[in-house]
Amino acid sequence: MATAVIGSSGYKGRWNHLYKVLSKPGPFSDEDWVPGQGTINTLESSKILVIGAGGLGCEILKNLALSGFKDIHVIDMDTIDISNLNRQFLFRQADIGKPKAEVAAAFVEKRVKGVNITPYVGKIQDKDEDYYMQFKIIICGLDSIEARRWINSTLVGMVDFENPESLKPLIDGGTEGFKGQARVILPTLSSCIECQLDMHAPRPAVPLCTIATIPRQPQHCIEWAHQIAWQEKRKDDTFDSDDMEHISWVYNEALQRAQHFHIHGVTFQMTQGVVKNIIPAIASTNAVIAASTTSEVLKIATSCNPYLDNYMMYAGEEGVYTYTFEAEKKEDCPVCGNLARKMDVDANMTLGEFIESLGEKAEAQLKKPSLRTEERTLYQRFPPQLEEHTRPNLRLKLGELVENGQEIAVSDPAYTIDFRYRLHFK
Amino acid sequence: MADSFPATISGPTSKERKYDRQLRLWAATGQQALEDARVLLVNSDGPLGSSSTGVTGVAGVEALKNLVLPGIGGFTIVDPATVTEADLGVNFFLEEESLGKSRADETCRLLRELNPDVQGYSYSKSISDLLTDPDFLSRHKLVIISGPTKRSTLEPLCQKAQELEIPVLYVHSLGFCATFSLQLPTEFPIVETHPDPESTQDLRLLNPWPELAAAAESLGDLEAMDDHQHGHVPYTLLLLRFLSQWKQTHGAMPDNYKEKSAFREFVRSNARTKNAEGGEENFDEAVAAVLKTISPFSLRSSIREIFEMQQCQQLTTNSADFWVIASAIRTFYNAHGVLPLPGSLPDMKAQSADYVALQNIYKAKARKDVEEVTATIRQLESQLGRTTTILDREVEVFCKNAAHIKVVRGRGIAQTNEDTDAVTLKALRSGLAMPESLASIFIACQIIDAVVDEIQSKPAQNQLSVDDEGLWVAQKERILALLTRDDPTPLDEEAQESIDNAIQEIRRAEGGELHNIASLAGGLVAQESLKVLTRQYVPLDNTCVFDGARSRSEMYRF
Amino acid sequence: MLKIWSMKQQQQQAENAEGGGKKKKKVTAAQLRVQRDLQELTLGNTMKMTFPNPDDILNFTLSIEPDEGMYKGGLFNFTFAVNQNFPHDPPKVKCTQKIYHPNIDLEGNVCLNILREDWKPVLNLNAVIVGMQFLFLEPNASDPLNKEAAEDLRSNRDAFKRNVRASMAGGTVRRVAYERVLR
Repeated sequence: MATAVIGSSGYKGRWNHLYKVLSKPGPFSDEDWVPGQGTINTLESSKILVIGAGGLGCEILKNLALSGFKDIHVIDMDTIDISNLNRQFLFRQADIGKPKAEVAAAFVEKRVKGVNITPYVGKIQDKDEDYYMQFKIIICGLDSIEARRWINSTLVGMVDFENPESLKPLIDGGTEGFKGQARVILPTLSSCIECQLDMHAPRPAVPLCTIATIPRQPQHCIEWAHQIAWQEKRKDDTFDSDDMEHISWVYNEALQRAQHFHIHGVTFQMTQGVVKNIIPAIASTNAVIAASTTSEVLKIATSCNPYLDNYMMYAGEEGVYTYTFEAEKKEDCPVCGNLARKMDVDANMTLGEFIESLGEKAEAQLKKPSLRTEERTLYQRFPPQLEEHTRPNLRLKLGELVENGQEIAVSDPAYTIDFRYRLHFK
Repeated sequence: MADSFPATISGPTSKERKYDRQLRLWAATGQQALEDARVLLVNSDGPLGSSSTGVTGVAGVEALKNLVLPGIGGFTIVDPATVTEADLGVNFFLEEESLGKSRADETCRLLRELNPDVQGYSYSKSISDLLTDPDFLSRHKLVIISGPTKRSTLEPLCQKAQELEIPVLYVHSLGFCATFSLQLPTEFPIVETHPDPESTQDLRLLNPWPELAAAAESLGDLEAMDDHQHGHVPYTLLLLRFLSQWKQTHGAMPDNYKEKSAFREFVRSNARTKNAEGGEENFDEAVAAVLKTISPFSLRSSIREIFEMQQCQQLTTNSADFWVIASAIRTFYNAHGVLPLPGSLPDMKAQSADYVALQNIYKAKARKDVEEVTATIRQLESQLGRTTTILDREVEVFCKNAAHIKVVRGRGIAQTNEDTDAVTLKALRSGLAMPESLASIFIACQIIDAVVDEIQSKPAQNQLSVDDEGLWVAQKERILALLTRDDPTPLDEEAQESIDNAIQEIRRAEGGELHNIASLAGGLVAQESLKVLTRQYVPLDNTCVFDGARSRSEMYRF
Repeated sequence: MLKIWSMKQQQQQAENAEGGGKKKKKVTAAQLRVQRDLQELTLGNTMKMTFPNPDDILNFTLSIEPDEGMYKGGLFNFTFAVNQNFPHDPPKVKCTQKIYHPNIDLEGNVCLNILREDWKPVLNLNAVIVGMQFLFLEPNASDPLNKEAAEDLRSNRDAFKRNVRASMAGGTVRRVAYERVLR
């Protein structure tokens, strides 16, 4: 309990600075906010999930522990590599090869007394909604767009309108070289990762034919060695970008090809960069972005100041430039633009009858729908082979095809957006 | 130059592997500059009033963390404070066992753990005591000072640093607010500014040198080419060819937007469309490049300014290498009307051999230009009687970046007191006039500096708290009066309110730091330190304010 | 209660209300998009799709039987693998047969701009399929994956046609044995 922590003499004064700020209103804090012990109790009882224990994750864990949070969980599937040591400050030479989540959690727990950090070594996809439901706020320091999209759609899907606690604010940070961004996402309420997907410029790709026949740049030679020569000459080995022998082989092949075409500039460093899609990363940028995200976590958890609404970008190549703005929520966002509606159905109704009933619904006359659950294609009108395959389902009862409470997704050519329904059996 | 390729594969060293992600930003030269640098952190300077042991200095320690990790040569922490319970709640580089010990020693010990390549030194003394050793400051390449600090400490320190041309960063991290200023030497030149690669292209399409013009001529009859050849002519050669045709029929090169648009259509009309793809990529590239690349060379005003600076016009035996090279490049510009060719060629649709041949034409010209500049430099060196020779590599890098070099005219640490110049006060006033301005946070930090100055310099007041209402009211009045010193128009209501808000937000913390904001400020300060130490990218000029309550920042030149 | 959490309660309509109970897995954004794309396909009679596992619509094969052009009479199979990052990432397409074609190499890699450098999330599976079909009507010699085939096409169109026929029948062209792909 929070009171016990403050009361015990040994800790008195430790959180002096933080508690001062939490015990007085500021000019921008909400008028309804009540500073003081209640706020401090809320802070200490807020369970926080950190996704990623890398460059941002190490900073985030430190910052949360020193923001007075007591119960922190961290997920990361990676192990520590030598190239992490220039910024991931919770790791040492001797930790190379160990799981990041475990080493980071142990280090911060040892350094900051009274904080509990629970590591999980694995993928975010290993965990289900029950797991994510236990947290108050989720904070991401990831380098993968795919993982971001997954957690985003999971959190959007978890929002239950009768249970405000099911809304999990998602705070996301990302960096590249001297640049980065921090954003606050309130699933279903504000612009989500999917709404903002076009802000992630896809990596410019070189035409395969250029790589195959008319290379001009050292990178083209490396791509050739990586994508074409490997396939031809080492078909039976699975390429592993962390295997030095594999990288050396690609480097060597690229070098020979470059020599053949009189192209200069293939280096080992460039080979690694191209093959592993390496993004430059430094401690200071991570510090700026991680602290932006954890500052928002503190503000959301305690209401001591307004939170970011909803995007701050940072660029440090020329002076210190930030831009704070509100990214827009997209009406046709495939994740948060069409939330699942609840629909009461008779489990004994056949799929065919159900589809007919969709066509008669006043709000959306779905005349030619195709529909599925996550696991199963229920009925797909086109192409013909799938239609044939799924036609027998039309005669099956809903109870035989879906579980009570399961979500189905419906597309109809008459609508540009798709629909989701959660079926509840009467 | 013949092709030369390494015969054997040598993988990266363990140092290269450790620093791989940052070497991609500042390369081996930047790394070397870091490793040659020792950074001084002045992290506290005595108690801030009755109930305080001094500035907590977390922003400074966090900044050092971000410099130790990428491998600066070493650091020195000067901090007379001892570790208190409150330090442990905000500073990650202290532990239970640190309680009651020297904060300088303890933070130094725990920071050193981050990187065995970095030397760390600590002094549990006041910086004023250390400055009595005339060699102390000169052992450092950069100074970071954690505020608030009294004037009698700050000013002599900044002044000595300025004499030694050592850059200084002065940082405040107070509750949800942070601000920092960068003091640079009066001229701080940067060669490798890392501009956007697109803006560095110089293709010389309107004034090709003979070899380039010859390459366009040697294409022969475009009409006679088969589809494959026609679709693979590099777009720069296409443009050169069409430009010379245009000149013959129109008497001059396309000049304004209208003519360029017409020229673009002319290029487009020459593409073949009756092929499998229904068009030609190289022509698409040429069309897209018309507006971007067909402009006569013009010297950027910032470069012209550099050429006109006294340092460039009047070299001495002791002039910095930068000015000697800049002067030689000015001579080059005066002779040719252009800067040395950077020599890079963007990727474009072309056959491998044709592209490489074209690239070699650009590279050869760039090399020739470097040779010409180098010859001028050697002449200057001997005329000036210089004993050292500027490295070829330096000249080459300079020529490559000539169009984007920068000289920051450094200013002192921004302050608001009786000695503040009119320019700074004017900048502050106009900052405050902007809606939602963050200049008020800077002012509130100036007030706390004045409050601390009162407490620390006047024995009668050293029992007062840093949050003493009377001191705040008095110092606020003093600084507001300063703001109207040169411009008697009173501050408008919005500006007044903005200042009051900033004061309220800062006083909330009573001089203390929040870890998040200290860490963010430490990140920004380290970022600027890296740019200053590597002399790459462009540093802050000269003040940054961050508002953690509203998640925004602003830059000011004070 | 904190502002955000209470705000949520006020804002939402009761019609969407839903009782407790454990939630099941959601249809993913990639699945939903493929469901829609499939429904909007125009296959004509020269193309057929097969789904090894009809419940998995992210993995399928496309068979093309050109009814005109040099590849008429052949039956060409391609595997499509769509990942969960679709449509941010393009589908991965490979030819399962060893064929003689300037834009398809012996490993089955396909050179089609919209599968790589020109892919955009607004493009759909139909655009890809149309592009694939076009490759058999108008093989493109200018930027090849199979250099020999492209040289043949460029230098001697008739010889190229003969080679196509021979390769489709399972013959050897320039010392490479091709797979029989005739129906």
